[in-house]
Amino acid sequence: MTQDLKQSIQDEIAAHKILIYGKGTKQAPRCGFTLETIDFFNQIGFPFEVLDVLGNDAKRQALTEMTNWPTLPKVFINGKFYGDTDILGPMLESGELERVIVDAFADVKA
Amino acid sequence: MITHEDIERLIRSALPDARVQTYDRTGTSDHYNVTVTSSAFSGKPLLDQHRMIYAALSEALKDGRLHAVELKTEANK
Repeated sequence: MTQDLKQSIQDEIAAHKILIYGKGTKQAPRCGFTLETIDFFNQIGFPFEVLDVLGNDAKRQALTEMTNWPTLPKVFINGKFYGDTDILGPMLESGELERVIVDAFADVKA
Repeated sequence: MITHEDIERLIRSALPDARVQTYDRTGTSDHYNVTVTSSAFSGKPLLDQHRMIYAALSEALKDGRLHAVELKTEANK
């Protein structure tokens, strides 16, 4: 993994409170799990970004190494890796996810 | 394509006491819901529990027998 690639990923993670690396885009998801994750965050209602890495093998490999997580989508909230909806679903039910997200957006309130 | 027995065998090779339930989501034997119960999960964060299963299934995920997994893990009480 090149340092440039790693740095650009870290910049992307830092630039978005909620970031999903997936297959396809918000408008045109190209994987059922990416669509499911977009639906999940649409229901939560906070702004989030989806970045398509389907055609970028080097970036997918770098992301897998950085997270020790083999599959897409990969979700980052406030710079921290949270896996996918298999992890976020139980976190939503327990109330932990709301705390994490409210905390992530605490500094953007007017 | 991969069978329930193969998924169970891969997971049990890492977690011998695992109870493994699978559901073929698409009828094509490559998209599964997998629920694993094991004492090895106890005290571990959910993220790490899932990493343990992905590691056990990595061979099948890499060679394409298994395309996608929806995963649920539970620690034995």
